[in-house]
Amino acid sequence: MNKILLIIRREYLSRVKKKSFIIMTFLTPLLIAGIYGLIGYFTYKGIKDTHDKIAVVSTNKTLTDKLASDKNIEYDYVSKGLEEMKKSLKTSDYDYVLYLPEFDLKAPKGVELFGAKQAGLSLNNRISGDIEELIRNQKLKESGIAQADLDQLKTSVDIETKKIADTGKEESSSAGASTVIAFIAGILMFMFIMLYGIQVMRGVIEEKTSRIIEVMISSVKPFQLMMGKIIGIALVGLTQFILWIVLTLTISTVAVTILADKVDVKKIAASTQSGSQVTTGTQVVSPAQGPLLDIQKSLAGLDFGKIVSVFIFFFIGGYLFYSALYAAIGSAVDSETETQQFMMPVMMPLLLGYALSLSVVTNDPYGNIAFWLSMIPFTSPIAMVVRLPYGVPNWELALSMVILVVGFIGTVWVASRIYRVGILMYGKKTTFKEMFKWFTYKN
Amino acid sequence: MLSVKNIVKQYAAHRALDQVSLEVERGKIFGLLGPNGAGKTSLIRIITQITAPDSGEVLFNGERLNANHISQIGYLPEERGLYKKMEIGEQVLYLSKLKGLSTAEATKRIKFWFEKLEMAGWWSKKVEDLSKGMQQKVQFVATILHQPELIILDEPFSGFDPVNADIIKNEILELNKQGATFIFSTHRMESVEELCDHIALIDRSKKILDGSVDEIKATYRNNTYWIEYEGDYNVETAKGIFEVLQTENVKGKTLIKIQLQKDRTANEVLSALLPYVAITRLDEVIPTMNDIFIDKVKRQDYE
Repeated sequence: MNKILLIIRREYLSRVKKKSFIIMTFLTPLLIAGIYGLIGYFTYKGIKDTHDKIAVVSTNKTLTDKLASDKNIEYDYVSKGLEEMKKSLKTSDYDYVLYLPEFDLKAPKGVELFGAKQAGLSLNNRISGDIEELIRNQKLKESGIAQADLDQLKTSVDIETKKIADTGKEESSSAGASTVIAFIAGILMFMFIMLYGIQVMRGVIEEKTSRIIEVMISSVKPFQLMMGKIIGIALVGLTQFILWIVLTLTISTVAVTILADKVDVKKIAASTQSGSQVTTGTQVVSPAQGPLLDIQKSLAGLDFGKIVSVFIFFFIGGYLFYSALYAAIGSAVDSETETQQFMMPVMMPLLLGYALSLSVVTNDPYGNIAFWLSMIPFTSPIAMVVRLPYGVPNWELALSMVILVVGFIGTVWVASRIYRVGILMYGKKTTFKEMFKWFTYKN
Repeated sequence: MLSVKNIVKQYAAHRALDQVSLEVERGKIFGLLGPNGAGKTSLIRIITQITAPDSGEVLFNGERLNANHISQIGYLPEERGLYKKMEIGEQVLYLSKLKGLSTAEATKRIKFWFEKLEMAGWWSKKVEDLSKGMQQKVQFVATILHQPELIILDEPFSGFDPVNADIIKNEILELNKQGATFIFSTHRMESVEELCDHIALIDRSKKILDGSVDEIKATYRNNTYWIEYEGDYNVETAKGIFEVLQTENVKGKTLIKIQLQKDRTANEVLSALLPYVAITRLDEVIPTMNDIFIDKVKRQDYE
């Protein structure tokens, strides 16, 4: 037991002391915060600053209303002909020329947008949205509905989703917030298992290629060496994860305090909201809060303590499950270039779990597929943390945990049998058949 | 101190060791010889408890081999290495702590050995910065630091330059004087011949020869001598005393190889020759371990 602690200590310290670890750990949260900050800043600025002036050349007699301008877009109906406008576009102060020909309301065709520069996707969507709105109103009017009635039709419904917890208490939740958390947790879990699993494999290969393995094995049992390495690297992963949480919280707290002075958060929320709703019309019946605040509110409704601790449990379980397999692969090869054929079967279930979790599971977190993905230990670490923010019955959580524990005991056992033979084999091209033979060796 | 009894080790279709038995006496230097792939490393891995035999047993000081013996055995494998990115001092400390030494004791001993082998100042160097010979010294220190009773060295001198090989050889002899028992495993006989008291020869999974070096050599003597003389005389086979196997002329001297007839002595040869020539040299042809080894292995091939 004492020996395994020595090994864990070495594996841990030799990695934590590395410059790359320190840089990664401290830079990543800064980088992520920085990138999100920039994205947020530019989105905000972009929405505030865009102002496109569009000359509308209309030969259309069917549409009686005109496209309405607002602070981001200015429609200017001109009387000049299309060809003339196109020619003078560069010298005029218009950014684009929009051509509205006469068309059938049922199948509007031939609308064109000319510009010195290619119109962006958001502008394109914006204009087509505005025209669609116009056509819709026209159609409604033709069927005899008054403008006043039309205006009254526009109601915005904000569904406040509440989940009734096992205790009968209503918990405020939001599909949006849950999805955000689910995505982050899923991606983090996938990254951690991959990165640290591969570190285990590299560590084993390093011991093999540097030929220290036999020296080590004459002092400790192969199982102790393998577990020492796996646990040591797991602790490195946990250290990094916890530091990331602490650092991210610190950075975001600091950032929010600084930003709160400068920008009213509500204003940002309101502007992003109008940004996302401009396509549906100009008269917005504003809900009391923007979606950003909404998410913030329901984030508070999530049980972060539970999410983080379940995440850590599934990280450790999933990592043990996969890293044992990675250790077996590392023991079977002489260099990293030979790992490919063995990596595939180990990577596939992880990738599949990742892809399905972020698509199928987030769409239907209580469905059959979600259930089974979160039970099978190959995929459960990712699937379960993705499901978690939506709420998972306790018995399912417990069952999945038990299966994962049984699973990793299984993979550790299988891996250790391959490992003990593989680490002493050199210069032989290993096949799966060979590995199976090793597995069956007595001692 | 070490008894290996009827060890069998089977790897799938290949039998690595077939009923091998050995006795290693305390305080001796034991040579485990054999060509590549004979089964030497398999046997050592069983003694060092890296693997277990399929049948047979190993006794260490009369006790069946168990985990407590790990700290009493020092093993320098043929395939040896160190962690490339780790500091030398840390590394030796780590390895000796795994053998059960306390940090304080290990540090003290490392300092002592680093001083002794002119390695002072290497503590915080990394393996990447050392030459191969320097690495070998570090590995040697790591092998003996926990003062094992039994030290097993697999191909101990491969990779050493002559100067360092000599330093290590002297350390081995000194440790041996202090009571440590050694097992050398090698396929290069000449490198260990002068050190070994006792040898065992393994070929194709079987032990084919076992005994003290002197005894074995005595058995392989075949009464052959080199005689060098001056004088213009053609020695022919003297009836009943010896037979000339080979004649050479070197710088005015003649060198002949003779074999004594049964129950004759070298003295009789000398008295037969003295009247005619001036003898400048007489050497008994003693087979080297290398010769015996090749002879034995070839004979196995033939059979």
